[in-house]
Amino acid sequence: MGGELKYEIGQNAYIKLVLHALKHKTSSVNGILVGRVGKDDVIEISDSIPLSHSQIGLLPALELALIQIEEHYGSQGMSVVGYYHGNERYDDAELGNVAKRIGDHIHKYFPQAVVILLDNKKLEALPKGKGLSPVVEFYTKDASKTWRQGGGSDGGGRLTIREPSSNIVLLDYISSEKWKEVVDFDDHLDDISKDWLNPGMFK
Amino acid sequence: MVGATEAVELNRLENQVDNGGGGDWEYLCLVRKFKVRRSDKVLKHGLSILNDSRKRSKLGGEEWTLYEQVAIAAMDCQRIDIAKDCVKVLQKQFPESVRVGRLEGMLVEAKGSYEDADNIYESLLEDNPLDQVIHKRRIAMSKAQGNISEAITRLNKYLEIFMADHDAWRELAEIYVSLQMYKQAAFCYEELILCQPSVPLYHLAYADVLYTIGGQENLQTAKKYYASTIDLTGGKNTRALYGICLSSSAIGQLTKGRKEKEGTELQSLAATALEKDYKKRSPNKLPLLTATLKNLKL
Repeated sequence: MGGELKYEIGQNAYIKLVLHALKHKTSSVNGILVGRVGKDDVIEISDSIPLSHSQIGLLPALELALIQIEEHYGSQGMSVVGYYHGNERYDDAELGNVAKRIGDHIHKYFPQAVVILLDNKKLEALPKGKGLSPVVEFYTKDASKTWRQGGGSDGGGRLTIREPSSNIVLLDYISSEKWKEVVDFDDHLDDISKDWLNPGMFK
Repeated sequence: MVGATEAVELNRLENQVDNGGGGDWEYLCLVRKFKVRRSDKVLKHGLSILNDSRKRSKLGGEEWTLYEQVAIAAMDCQRIDIAKDCVKVLQKQFPESVRVGRLEGMLVEAKGSYEDADNIYESLLEDNPLDQVIHKRRIAMSKAQGNISEAITRLNKYLEIFMADHDAWRELAEIYVSLQMYKQAAFCYEELILCQPSVPLYHLAYADVLYTIGGQENLQTAKKYYASTIDLTGGKNTRALYGICLSSSAIGQLTKGRKEKEGTELQSLAATALEKDYKKRSPNKLPLLTATLKNLKL
Protein backbone atom coordinates (compact mmCIF):
# COMPACT_ATOMS: atom_id res chain seq x y z
CA MET A 1 0.00 0.00 0.00
CA GLY A 2 1.09 3.60 0.28
CA GLY A 3 1.84 4.12 -3.38
CA GLU A 4 -1.71 4.27 -4.63
CA LEU A 5 -3.44 6.12 -1.84
CA LYS A 6 -5.41 9.11 -2.99
CA TYR A 7 -6.79 11.74 -0.67
CA GLU A 8 -9.17 14.52 -1.51
CA ILE A 9 -9.78 17.23 1.05
CA GLY A 10 -12.86 19.42 0.98
CA GLN A 11 -12.49 23.17 0.89
CA ASN A 12 -14.02 23.81 4.29
CA ALA A 13 -11.94 21.14 5.99
CA TYR A 14 -8.80 22.54 4.40
CA ILE A 15 -9.50 26.18 5.15
CA LYS A 16 -10.52 25.48 8.71
CA LEU A 17 -7.28 23.75 9.58
CA VAL A 18 -5.14 26.49 8.07
CA LEU A 19 -7.12 29.20 9.87
CA HIS A 20 -6.78 27.27 13.12
CA ALA A 21 -3.02 27.38 12.81
CA LEU A 22 -3.13 31.08 11.94
CA LYS A 23 -5.17 31.87 15.01
CA HIS A 24 -2.50 30.38 17.25
CA LYS A 25 0.61 31.61 15.53
CA THR A 26 2.90 31.03 18.47
CA SER A 27 1.94 27.52 19.48
CA SER A 28 1.50 24.09 18.00
CA VAL A 29 -2.00 23.22 16.90
CA ASN A 30 -3.65 19.94 16.01
CA GLY A 31 -6.92 18.48 14.92
CA ILE A 32 -8.77 15.52 13.52
CA LEU A 33 -9.78 14.78 9.93
CA VAL A 34 -13.02 12.98 9.25
CA GLY A 35 -14.47 11.58 6.06
CA ARG A 36 -15.13 8.35 4.22
CA VAL A 37 -13.78 6.14 1.51
CA GLY A 38 -15.39 7.24 -1.74
CA LYS A 39 -15.45 5.82 -5.22
CA ASP A 40 -12.21 4.50 -6.75
CA ASP A 41 -10.97 4.15 -3.18
CA VAL A 42 -10.32 7.87 -2.93
CA ILE A 43 -10.34 8.88 0.70
CA GLU A 44 -12.54 11.92 0.98
CA ILE A 45 -11.69 14.23 3.87
CA SER A 46 -14.95 16.09 4.40
CA ASP A 47 -14.30 17.97 7.58
CA SER A 48 -11.58 18.94 10.02
CA ILE A 49 -12.05 19.44 13.73
CA PRO A 50 -9.64 21.79 15.49
CA LEU A 51 -8.55 20.23 18.77
CA SER A 52 -5.82 21.95 20.68
CA HIS A 53 -3.43 24.84 20.85
CA SER A 54 -1.68 23.97 24.10
CA GLN A 55 -0.22 20.94 25.83
CA ILE A 56 -0.71 18.75 22.81
CA GLY A 57 1.11 15.80 24.36
CA LEU A 58 -1.56 15.17 26.98
CA LEU A 59 -4.18 12.49 26.64
CA PRO A 60 -7.41 13.51 28.42
CA ALA A 61 -8.63 16.18 26.02
CA LEU A 62 -7.64 14.09 23.01
CA GLU A 63 -9.55 11.04 24.26
CA LEU A 64 -12.63 13.10 24.98
CA ALA A 65 -12.53 14.76 21.61
CA LEU A 66 -12.15 11.46 19.79
CA ILE A 67 -15.15 9.96 21.60
CA GLN A 68 -17.32 12.96 20.77
CA ILE A 69 -16.11 13.27 17.19
CA GLU A 70 -16.79 9.62 16.48
CA GLU A 71 -20.18 9.93 18.05
CA HIS A 72 -21.13 13.03 16.08
CA TYR A 73 -19.76 12.08 12.67
CA GLY A 74 -20.56 8.38 12.99
CA SER A 75 -24.23 9.22 12.73
CA GLN A 76 -23.47 10.92 9.40
CA GLY A 77 -21.66 7.89 8.05
CA MET A 78 -18.23 9.41 8.47
CA SER A 79 -15.30 8.31 10.55
CA VAL A 80 -11.90 9.54 11.64
CA VAL A 81 -9.55 9.25 8.67
CA GLY A 82 -6.59 11.29 9.78
CA TYR A 83 -4.92 13.93 11.86
CA TYR A 84 -3.44 17.34 11.23
CA HIS A 85 -0.67 19.19 12.97
CA GLY A 86 0.93 22.61 12.82
CA ASN A 87 4.35 22.97 14.40
CA GLU A 88 5.22 25.62 16.94
CA ARG A 89 8.23 27.03 15.13
CA TYR A 90 8.05 28.57 11.68
CA ASP A 91 11.09 26.74 10.32
CA ASP A 92 10.25 23.38 11.81
CA ALA A 93 9.07 21.23 8.91
CA GLU A 94 9.41 17.88 10.63
CA LEU A 95 6.64 15.59 11.70
CA GLY A 96 7.16 15.32 15.46
CA ASN A 97 6.79 12.34 17.74
CA VAL A 98 3.50 13.39 19.29
CA ALA A 99 1.97 13.77 15.83
CA LYS A 100 3.28 10.37 14.83
CA ARG A 101 1.89 8.72 17.92
CA ILE A 102 -1.56 10.20 17.46
CA GLY A 103 -1.31 9.14 13.83
CA ASP A 104 -0.39 5.61 14.99
CA HIS A 105 -3.47 5.48 17.13
CA ILE A 106 -5.77 6.49 14.27
CA HIS A 107 -3.96 4.12 11.94
CA LYS A 108 -4.94 1.22 14.21
CA TYR A 109 -8.59 1.86 13.42
CA PHE A 110 -8.23 3.21 9.89
CA PRO A 111 -5.29 1.67 8.01
CA GLN A 112 -5.26 4.31 5.25
CA ALA A 113 -4.96 7.09 7.83
CA VAL A 114 -3.26 10.28 6.73
CA VAL A 115 -1.33 12.82 8.77
CA ILE A 116 -1.28 16.34 7.41
CA LEU A 117 1.45 18.75 8.44
CA LEU A 118 1.03 22.44 7.75
CA ASP A 119 3.83 23.83 5.59
CA ASN A 120 4.67 27.35 6.75
CA LYS A 121 6.87 28.14 3.77
CA LYS A 122 4.13 27.27 1.31
CA LEU A 123 1.62 29.21 3.37
CA GLU A 124 3.84 32.27 3.34
CA ALA A 125 4.30 32.03 -0.42
CA LEU A 126 0.57 31.74 -1.00
CA PRO A 127 -0.21 35.42 -1.64
CA LYS A 128 2.60 35.65 -4.19
CA GLY A 129 1.80 32.64 -6.30
CA LYS A 130 -1.32 31.28 -7.84
CA GLY A 131 -0.75 27.73 -6.69
CA LEU A 132 -3.70 25.40 -6.53
CA SER A 133 -2.01 22.77 -4.42
CA PRO A 134 -2.64 22.67 -0.67
CA VAL A 135 -0.17 24.44 1.62
CA VAL A 136 0.43 21.25 3.55
CA GLU A 137 2.56 18.12 3.44
CA PHE A 138 1.02 14.75 4.07
CA TYR A 139 2.28 11.50 5.47
CA THR A 140 1.06 7.95 5.26
CA LYS A 141 2.28 4.75 6.86
CA ASP A 142 4.30 2.55 4.55
CA ALA A 143 4.71 -1.22 4.65
CA SER A 144 7.49 -0.94 7.22
CA LYS A 145 5.12 0.91 9.54
CA THR A 146 6.94 4.21 9.45
CA TRP A 147 5.37 7.54 8.50
CA ARG A 148 6.55 8.59 5.07
CA GLN A 149 5.99 11.84 3.30
CA GLY A 150 3.76 11.41 0.28
CA GLY A 151 3.35 13.29 -2.93
CA GLY A 152 7.02 13.16 -3.92
CA SER A 153 8.39 12.19 -7.30
CA ASP A 154 8.62 8.58 -6.13
CA GLY A 155 4.86 8.39 -5.82
CA GLY A 156 3.60 7.86 -2.30
CA GLY A 157 0.02 8.84 -3.05
CA ARG A 158 -1.41 12.25 -3.63
CA LEU A 159 -3.48 14.82 -1.83
CA THR A 160 -5.68 17.25 -3.70
CA ILE A 161 -8.25 19.84 -2.74
CA ARG A 162 -11.72 19.13 -4.05
CA GLU A 163 -12.52 22.69 -5.05
CA PRO A 164 -9.76 24.23 -7.20
CA SER A 165 -10.40 27.76 -6.02
CA SER A 166 -9.79 26.94 -2.35
CA ASN A 167 -6.54 28.85 -2.02
CA ILE A 168 -8.17 32.01 -3.31
CA VAL A 169 -10.99 31.68 -0.81
CA LEU A 170 -8.41 31.00 1.88
CA LEU A 171 -6.49 34.17 1.07
CA ASP A 172 -9.69 36.12 1.25
CA TYR A 173 -10.45 34.70 4.69
CA ILE A 174 -6.93 35.45 5.89
CA SER A 175 -7.15 39.10 4.89
CA SER A 176 -10.54 39.46 6.57
CA GLU A 177 -9.10 37.88 9.74
CA LYS A 178 -11.64 35.09 9.71
CA TRP A 179 -9.25 32.96 11.72
CA LYS A 180 -10.43 34.82 14.80
CA GLU A 181 -13.66 32.82 14.62
CA VAL A 182 -12.14 29.35 14.78
CA VAL A 183 -13.12 27.50 17.94
CA ASP A 184 -11.19 24.40 18.93
CA PHE A 185 -11.91 21.70 21.47
CA ASP A 186 -9.57 23.41 23.93
CA ASP A 187 -11.71 26.56 23.74
CA HIS A 188 -14.80 24.46 24.30
CA LEU A 189 -13.38 22.92 27.46
CA ASP A 190 -12.59 26.39 28.76
CA ASP A 191 -16.08 27.62 27.92
CA ILE A 192 -18.57 24.98 26.87
CA SER A 193 -20.85 27.48 25.17
CA LYS A 194 -18.22 27.68 22.40
CA ASP A 195 -18.95 25.14 19.70
CA TRP A 196 -15.97 23.14 18.40
CA LEU A 197 -17.98 22.15 15.32
CA ASN A 198 -17.79 25.76 14.13
CA PRO A 199 -21.25 25.50 12.61
CA GLY A 200 -21.62 29.09 11.42
CA MET A 201 -18.18 29.44 10.00
CA PHE A 202 -18.81 28.97 6.29
CA LYS A 203 -22.28 30.35 6.07
CA MET B 1 -2.35 34.42 31.82
CA VAL B 2 -5.39 36.60 31.48
CA GLY B 3 -8.69 35.97 33.17
CA ALA B 4 -11.97 36.02 31.31
CA THR B 5 -13.06 39.48 32.46
CA GLU B 6 -9.70 41.02 31.61
CA ALA B 7 -9.82 39.41 28.19
CA VAL B 8 -13.24 40.92 27.53
CA GLU B 9 -12.00 44.36 28.51
CA LEU B 10 -8.90 44.00 26.37
CA ASN B 11 -10.85 42.86 23.33
CA ARG B 12 -13.40 45.63 23.73
CA LEU B 13 -10.65 48.23 23.84
CA GLU B 14 -8.85 46.64 20.93
CA ASN B 15 -12.00 46.84 18.87
CA GLN B 16 -12.49 50.45 19.79
CA VAL B 17 -8.91 51.35 18.89
CA ASP B 18 -9.06 49.40 15.63
CA ASN B 19 -12.11 51.39 14.61
CA GLY B 20 -10.49 54.70 15.41
CA GLY B 21 -12.47 55.23 18.60
CA GLY B 22 -9.49 56.42 20.62
CA GLY B 23 -7.95 54.94 23.75
CA ASP B 24 -4.78 53.87 21.97
CA TRP B 25 -2.51 54.56 24.91
CA GLU B 26 -4.84 52.84 27.38
CA TYR B 27 -4.90 49.82 25.10
CA LEU B 28 -1.13 49.67 24.89
CA CYS B 29 -0.86 49.94 28.67
CA LEU B 30 -3.30 47.09 29.07
CA VAL B 31 -1.33 44.92 26.67
CA ARG B 32 1.76 45.54 28.80
CA LYS B 33 -0.05 44.96 32.05
CA PHE B 34 -1.55 41.65 30.97
CA LYS B 35 1.62 40.67 29.13
CA VAL B 36 -0.34 39.51 26.09
CA ARG B 37 1.19 39.11 22.69
CA ARG B 38 -0.61 41.38 20.23
CA SER B 39 2.42 42.47 18.30
CA ASP B 40 0.68 43.47 15.09
CA LYS B 41 -1.74 45.74 16.93
CA VAL B 42 0.93 47.18 19.21
CA LEU B 43 3.07 47.96 16.21
CA LYS B 44 0.28 49.69 14.36
CA HIS B 45 -1.17 51.75 17.17
CA GLY B 46 2.10 52.34 19.00
CA LEU B 47 3.73 53.64 15.88
CA SER B 48 0.89 56.03 15.19
CA ILE B 49 1.52 57.64 18.58
CA LEU B 50 5.29 57.71 18.13
CA ASN B 51 4.95 59.34 14.71
CA ASP B 52 2.76 62.08 16.12
CA SER B 53 5.01 64.43 18.09
CA ARG B 54 2.05 66.05 19.85
CA LYS B 55 0.67 62.75 21.11
CA ARG B 56 4.15 61.55 21.92
CA SER B 57 5.12 64.48 24.09
CA LYS B 58 1.91 64.07 26.06
CA LEU B 59 3.22 60.78 27.38
CA GLY B 60 6.09 62.41 29.25
CA GLY B 61 8.48 59.83 30.65
CA GLU B 62 6.28 57.01 29.42
CA GLU B 63 7.44 57.84 25.91
CA TRP B 64 10.48 55.60 26.38
CA THR B 65 8.37 52.73 27.60
CA LEU B 66 6.41 52.98 24.39
CA TYR B 67 9.57 52.98 22.29
CA GLU B 68 10.58 49.78 24.03
CA GLN B 69 7.15 48.21 23.56
CA VAL B 70 7.02 49.09 19.87
CA ALA B 71 10.59 47.89 19.33
CA ILE B 72 9.75 44.44 20.66
CA ALA B 73 6.49 44.30 18.72
CA ALA B 74 8.32 45.28 15.54
CA MET B 75 10.86 42.50 16.08
CA ASP B 76 8.03 40.03 16.50
CA CYS B 77 6.50 41.21 13.21
CA GLN B 78 9.87 41.05 11.46
CA ARG B 79 9.88 44.81 10.89
CA ILE B 80 13.55 45.07 11.73
CA ASP B 81 13.78 48.58 10.24
CA ILE B 82 11.28 49.99 12.72
CA ALA B 83 12.76 48.07 15.63
CA LYS B 84 16.18 49.42 14.77
CA ASP B 85 14.94 53.02 14.77
CA CYS B 86 13.29 52.58 18.16
CA VAL B 87 16.36 50.98 19.71
CA LYS B 88 18.52 53.79 18.31
CA VAL B 89 16.38 56.43 19.99
CA LEU B 90 16.63 54.57 23.28
CA GLN B 91 20.38 54.10 22.97
CA LYS B 92 20.81 57.83 22.57
CA GLN B 93 18.66 58.53 25.60
CA PHE B 94 20.09 55.82 27.85
CA PRO B 95 23.60 55.03 26.65
CA GLU B 96 24.66 52.86 29.60
CA SER B 97 21.39 51.04 30.21
CA VAL B 98 21.27 47.26 30.57
CA ARG B 99 17.61 47.33 29.59
CA VAL B 100 18.52 48.93 26.27
CA GLY B 101 21.40 46.49 25.99
CA ARG B 102 18.90 43.66 26.16
CA LEU B 103 16.96 45.25 23.33
CA GLU B 104 20.12 45.39 21.22
CA GLY B 105 20.59 41.71 21.84
CA MET B 106 17.00 41.00 20.89
CA LEU B 107 17.38 43.01 17.72
CA VAL B 108 20.34 40.90 16.65
CA GLU B 109 18.33 37.85 17.63
CA ALA B 110 15.38 38.95 15.51
CA LYS B 111 17.68 39.14 12.52
CA GLY B 112 18.50 35.49 13.11
CA SER B 113 22.14 36.02 14.15
CA TYR B 114 21.84 33.84 17.20
CA GLU B 115 25.54 33.51 17.84
CA ASP B 116 26.09 37.27 17.89
CA ALA B 117 23.07 37.73 20.11
CA ASP B 118 24.39 35.12 22.50
CA ASN B 119 27.69 37.01 22.72
CA ILE B 120 25.87 40.23 23.53
CA TYR B 121 23.85 38.49 26.23
CA GLU B 122 26.91 36.84 27.70
CA SER B 123 28.77 40.09 28.01
CA LEU B 124 25.72 41.67 29.66
CA LEU B 125 25.55 38.75 32.08
CA GLU B 126 29.17 39.30 33.13
CA ASP B 127 28.15 42.57 34.73
CA ASN B 128 24.68 41.42 35.80
CA PRO B 129 24.82 37.70 36.43
CA LEU B 130 21.35 37.71 37.99
CA ASP B 131 19.45 39.38 35.17
CA GLN B 132 16.49 37.05 34.76
CA VAL B 133 15.33 38.46 31.46
CA ILE B 134 18.67 37.83 29.79
CA HIS B 135 18.79 34.28 31.09
CA LYS B 136 15.33 33.75 29.71
CA ARG B 137 16.26 35.23 26.34
CA ARG B 138 19.05 32.69 26.05
CA ILE B 139 16.65 29.86 26.87
CA ALA B 140 14.16 31.18 24.32
CA MET B 141 16.93 31.35 21.76
CA SER B 142 17.76 27.67 22.20
CA LYS B 143 14.10 26.94 21.68
CA ALA B 144 13.87 29.14 18.61
CA GLN B 145 16.73 27.26 17.04
CA GLY B 146 15.03 23.97 17.70
CA ASN B 147 17.71 22.97 20.19
CA ILE B 148 15.28 21.70 22.80
CA SER B 149 17.81 19.75 24.85
CA GLU B 150 19.91 22.89 25.28
CA ALA B 151 16.78 24.80 26.27
CA ILE B 152 16.10 22.18 28.94
CA THR B 153 19.66 22.33 30.27
CA ARG B 154 19.56 26.11 30.42
CA LEU B 155 16.14 26.15 32.06
CA ASN B 156 17.25 23.68 34.70
CA LYS B 157 20.33 25.78 35.42
CA TYR B 158 18.14 28.86 35.62
CA LEU B 159 15.80 27.15 38.06
CA GLU B 160 18.72 26.24 40.31
CA ILE B 161 19.17 29.95 40.87
CA PHE B 162 15.62 31.25 40.53
CA MET B 163 13.74 28.45 42.19
CA ALA B 164 10.64 30.55 42.84
CA ASP B 165 9.99 31.43 39.20
CA HIS B 166 6.68 29.69 38.58
CA ASP B 167 6.47 30.56 34.93
CA ALA B 168 9.82 28.96 34.33
CA TRP B 169 8.74 25.73 36.03
CA ARG B 170 5.64 25.75 33.90
CA GLU B 171 7.61 26.33 30.75
CA LEU B 172 9.88 23.42 31.65
CA ALA B 173 6.88 21.21 32.34
CA GLU B 174 5.36 22.07 28.98
CA ILE B 175 8.58 21.37 27.14
CA TYR B 176 8.78 17.97 28.84
CA VAL B 177 5.19 17.23 27.85
CA SER B 178 5.93 18.15 24.24
CA LEU B 179 8.79 15.63 24.32
CA GLN B 180 6.56 13.08 26.03
CA MET B 181 8.86 13.07 29.07
CA TYR B 182 5.88 12.82 31.36
CA LYS B 183 7.68 11.80 34.55
CA GLN B 184 9.87 14.88 34.38
CA ALA B 185 6.84 17.04 33.64
CA ALA B 186 5.07 15.57 36.66
CA PHE B 187 8.03 16.53 38.83
CA CYS B 188 7.76 20.16 37.68
CA TYR B 189 4.08 20.28 38.53
CA GLU B 190 4.74 18.72 41.95
CA GLU B 191 7.20 21.53 42.54
CA LEU B 192 4.58 24.10 41.47
CA ILE B 193 1.87 22.61 43.67
CA LEU B 194 4.23 22.69 46.64
CA CYS B 195 5.02 26.36 46.03
CA GLN B 196 1.48 27.49 45.28
CA PRO B 197 -0.94 24.89 46.59
CA SER B 198 -4.04 26.93 45.85
CA VAL B 199 -3.60 27.38 42.10
CA PRO B 200 -6.09 25.00 40.44
CA LEU B 201 -4.27 25.12 37.12
CA TYR B 202 -1.29 23.21 38.54
CA HIS B 203 -3.49 20.56 40.11
CA LEU B 204 -5.27 20.07 36.81
CA ALA B 205 -2.09 19.92 34.75
CA TYR B 206 -0.55 17.46 37.21
CA ALA B 207 -3.61 15.24 36.99
CA ASP B 208 -3.55 15.39 33.19
CA VAL B 209 0.10 14.31 33.14
CA LEU B 210 -0.53 11.43 35.55
CA TYR B 211 -3.53 10.32 33.51
CA THR B 212 -1.37 10.35 30.40
CA ILE B 213 1.26 8.17 32.08
CA GLY B 214 -1.48 5.75 33.10
CA GLY B 215 -1.38 2.73 35.40
CA GLN B 216 -3.67 2.19 38.31
CA GLU B 217 -1.70 4.10 40.91
CA ASN B 218 -1.22 7.16 38.68
CA LEU B 219 -4.86 7.12 37.69
CA GLN B 220 -5.93 7.07 41.33
CA THR B 221 -3.69 10.03 42.07
CA ALA B 222 -4.88 11.81 38.94
CA LYS B 223 -8.44 11.42 40.15
CA LYS B 224 -7.53 12.96 43.50
CA TYR B 225 -5.98 15.97 41.82
CA TYR B 226 -8.94 16.38 39.50
CA ALA B 227 -11.03 16.36 42.64
CA SER B 228 -8.86 19.03 44.28
CA THR B 229 -9.15 21.12 41.11
CA ILE B 230 -12.92 20.92 41.38
CA ASP B 231 -12.65 21.87 45.01
CA LEU B 232 -10.46 24.90 44.25
CA THR B 233 -12.66 26.12 41.40
CA GLY B 234 -15.99 25.65 43.14
CA GLY B 235 -16.98 22.93 40.68
CA LYS B 236 -16.62 25.20 37.68
CA ASN B 237 -13.82 23.46 35.85
CA THR B 238 -15.09 21.40 32.92
CA ARG B 239 -11.74 19.73 32.31
CA ALA B 240 -11.53 18.50 35.88
CA LEU B 241 -15.10 17.16 35.81
CA TYR B 242 -14.35 15.28 32.63
CA GLY B 243 -11.07 14.18 34.20
CA ILE B 244 -12.91 12.47 37.04
CA CYS B 245 -15.07 10.61 34.52
CA LEU B 246 -12.12 9.60 32.34
CA SER B 247 -9.93 8.41 35.19
CA SER B 248 -12.78 6.55 36.88
CA SER B 249 -13.54 4.79 33.63
CA ALA B 250 -9.87 3.92 33.07
CA ILE B 251 -9.55 2.60 36.62
CA GLY B 252 -12.70 0.57 36.07
CA GLN B 253 -11.18 -1.02 32.99
CA LEU B 254 -7.97 -1.88 34.81
CA THR B 255 -9.74 -3.42 37.76
CA LYS B 256 -12.09 -5.22 35.35
CA GLY B 257 -15.22 -3.80 36.82
CA ARG B 258 -14.44 -4.79 40.37
CA LYS B 259 -16.32 -1.93 41.93
CA GLU B 260 -14.26 0.26 44.15
CA LYS B 261 -16.11 1.36 47.19
CA GLU B 262 -14.73 4.87 47.32
CA GLY B 263 -15.12 7.11 44.33
CA THR B 264 -18.23 5.74 42.66
CA GLU B 265 -20.17 8.56 44.20
CA LEU B 266 -17.60 11.09 43.02
CA GLN B 267 -17.85 10.09 39.38
CA SER B 268 -21.62 10.17 39.29
CA LEU B 269 -21.50 13.58 40.93
CA ALA B 270 -19.07 14.78 38.28
CA ALA B 271 -21.27 13.38 35.52
CA THR B 272 -24.32 15.08 36.97
CA ALA B 273 -22.49 18.39 37.28
CA LEU B 274 -21.43 18.14 33.63
CA GLU B 275 -24.96 17.35 32.49
CA LYS B 276 -26.35 20.25 34.43
CA ASP B 277 -23.78 22.65 33.04
CA TYR B 278 -24.28 21.50 29.43
CA LYS B 279 -28.04 21.74 29.79
CA LYS B 280 -27.65 25.33 30.81
CA ARG B 281 -24.84 26.62 28.64
CA SER B 282 -24.49 24.26 25.72
CA PRO B 283 -27.79 22.42 25.22
CA ASN B 284 -27.05 21.37 21.65
CA LYS B 285 -24.01 19.43 22.82
CA LEU B 286 -25.92 17.63 25.56
CA PRO B 287 -26.59 14.50 23.45
CA LEU B 288 -22.87 14.22 22.75
CA LEU B 289 -22.11 14.52 26.44
CA THR B 290 -24.64 11.85 27.27
CA ALA B 291 -23.12 9.58 24.64
CA THR B 292 -19.64 10.27 26.00
CA LEU B 293 -20.65 9.38 29.54
CA LYS B 294 -22.29 6.25 28.25
CA ASN B 295 -19.17 5.39 26.33
CA LEU B 296 -17.19 5.73 29.57
CA LYS B 297 -19.75 3.45 31.25
CA LEU B 298 -20.77 5.98 33.80
